[in-house]
Amino acid sequence: MDSFTYVNIFETKGLEYLLLLCFWVLFLYLIRYLSPTDNKPGKRQ
Amino acid sequence: MDRRGFLKTSVLVGGTAIAGKKLNAQENQNSAEFVGILVDTTRCIGCRACEVACAEEHDMFVPDVVNDGAFEQVRKTSEKQWTVVNKFETEKGDVFVKKQCMHCYQAACAIACPTEAMKQTDHGPVIWRGNKCIGCRFCMVSCPFEMPKFEYDEWNPKLQKCTMCFERLEEGQKPACVSACPTDALMFGTRVKNLEIARHRIYSYPDQYVHHIYGEHEVGGTGYIYLSAVPFDQIGFRTDLGKKAYPEYTKEFLYAVPMILFGVPAFLLGLNALADASRSVPESEFTLEFDVDKEEKKR
Amino acid sequence: MNRDVAITDSFGNLSRFLIQELKPRGPWLTPFNVISIPVILTGLGILVYRFIHGLGSVTNLTQETPWGLWMGFDVITGVALAGGAYVITFVVYVMGVDKYHGIVRATVLNGLLAYTFYGGALLIDLGRPWNAPNPYIGNSFGFSSVLFLICWHFLLYMVAEFVEFSPVIAEWLHLEKAKRVLKKLTIATVVLGITLSILHQSGLGALFLMAKPKIHPLWWSEFIPILFFVSSIYAGLAMIIVEGTISHRVFEKLIPAEHHHHFDDIVFGLAKGAAITMIVYYFFKALLFIHDKQWDLIVDGWGLWFLVEVIGFVLVPALMFAFGFKHRSLNIVKIAAVMALIGIILNRLNVSVIAFNWYADVHYFPSWQEYVVTFMVIFAELWVFRWFVTRMPVFSSEH
Repeated sequence: MDSFTYVNIFETKGLEYLLLLCFWVLFLYLIRYLSPTDNKPGKRQ
Repeated sequence: MDRRGFLKTSVLVGGTAIAGKKLNAQENQNSAEFVGILVDTTRCIGCRACEVACAEEHDMFVPDVVNDGAFEQVRKTSEKQWTVVNKFETEKGDVFVKKQCMHCYQAACAIACPTEAMKQTDHGPVIWRGNKCIGCRFCMVSCPFEMPKFEYDEWNPKLQKCTMCFERLEEGQKPACVSACPTDALMFGTRVKNLEIARHRIYSYPDQYVHHIYGEHEVGGTGYIYLSAVPFDQIGFRTDLGKKAYPEYTKEFLYAVPMILFGVPAFLLGLNALADASRSVPESEFTLEFDVDKEEKKR
Repeated sequence: MNRDVAITDSFGNLSRFLIQELKPRGPWLTPFNVISIPVILTGLGILVYRFIHGLGSVTNLTQETPWGLWMGFDVITGVALAGGAYVITFVVYVMGVDKYHGIVRATVLNGLLAYTFYGGALLIDLGRPWNAPNPYIGNSFGFSSVLFLICWHFLLYMVAEFVEFSPVIAEWLHLEKAKRVLKKLTIATVVLGITLSILHQSGLGALFLMAKPKIHPLWWSEFIPILFFVSSIYAGLAMIIVEGTISHRVFEKLIPAEHHHHFDDIVFGLAKGAAITMIVYYFFKALLFIHDKQWDLIVDGWGLWFLVEVIGFVLVPALMFAFGFKHRSLNIVKIAAVMALIGIILNRLNVSVIAFNWYADVHYFPSWQEYVVTFMVIFAELWVFRWFVTRMPVFSSEH
């Protein structure tokens, strides 16, 4: 009674993995940016 | 393989086969048969006898069906009216559609209710029980058809919606609206029977109906099912609700709850032990207790 | 101050002490009092009216929008903003980072009061509040309900927070023995509190899972629980920064000098944590956006509104936190904290109120009474907070 049309539910997976790569590149950069190289917060302890 | 071994194996295999039938308990049919109402909108003449019967049965405001001009606009059910009939002008002429709680077979409102005030009864109809209700209105948020209606103007508000005349069903009677319908546009019966009738009508008169039974699959199947001559989105139905039963949306979350409740504390205590152990400084310097204890130790 | 009164000797002394402590102190005509007292009185009047004439008499709630400002702001947003307590107790007690020890008491007190008052706000919103014990007393356990879970978690979490805070009360009452016993419970209640927080922060998101057809697709996702949980982490951190900054100004005299000094360091630490959490949250949003193929949806007004929330009040403050941390700029961090809080408020209100029933012709807009009662809840909480911090050693764990 109801017709069937195929929907690829994993269509965006490629894009998602690309986004993941972008995230890790940016995130590692952010961690390095925030890492205490010069002025460490809480150094007093 | 010797004979005894063969016998053993076959007994085991046979045993598994019998047990296997019950393994996937969730996929099995419920033993209690669900009931529902079939609405054939091609038969409805818009007399609104169902509205009157419903109001009389449940001691509510009885509409003046002759003079109130209600067909001029599309009405919704309200806290004063559990069912309404609307008129839609379509390519196949005027179509009258009765609206009320759909009595979903996996009702979102009943699953949402924190006190089981909204309750799915054994044969499908969803009822409301005032002594349990806290009035949180989570059923209204969850219902895909927006059917539970709240009495906003009462100090002691009730949630109002069709109960499929649950009390009448218990006495073996049909719902009031079904009994009042002069054209058999409403038919009460088991879900299986209603679906058979509906399919039979579509097969017998393929040109009179759209080949879709609204409520067969929508939101996992509903107690009220509808037949129509025109596509359902033209007569006030939402066709974007999906086939998934609504309780399934919270299933994963509720599954996760006990796992988090025993997993996370263990994980946290483990982390705590690890954090303690990894300290190179003597423990007296870094105590988890408040500082009063520290002072006491020093003393 | 009459701290030195021997209070544990007899009940009479204790009650005299309590009465003394309950009396107001300090000047009456402060700007805060002048604003808050009329609001609280008006709010109480509205509540009386509401319990006589029904919810509809003071709210703009409709059959299509059953949850409005009281639920959307007081309960759902308020709880997110109270997330700081579980984050800080995790860092201090579980991970053993002593740096944040100085703010634990104030944060836990905030959490405790937030839950008490937002739990109370839930009662105001209930149609039949006299049935409110039902989910607890066992005659009708709705095990399958997300709200049932949240009811229980609110109660248990309030108990856990109270036990966490109780050493301070014991200190106030000079009950040294009780204090030592209560402190032994701290790590257990901290672990319980964190677990409960994870579940009810995400649970508040799970409330909207079944409202799928009513919420704009940009805000509905099957991952709402996880989004709510992750965002509650940085909501809590930002709230500590904002609340701490205000506290340090308002209660300046109550706070020991070395705490003032310490606090800047703490703020930068919190900023770093918030920056990282917010970036993760932002990419989470991006992933869902791509997965649900929602690029068609961002062209209209709703899409723009979504971008305002996600870029303007998540990505931008995240970068500001990072920048402010790197360049040791307190001002940038504080502005970022305020923006992050606005982002949280926007997000929670979008899910629960603004993008709920987005297709409706007439959209829900809160009545003035709903605003007044909302402010009443906030002001009442601040009053009680002020009462606690001016009488109990909340800001001074060192003494």
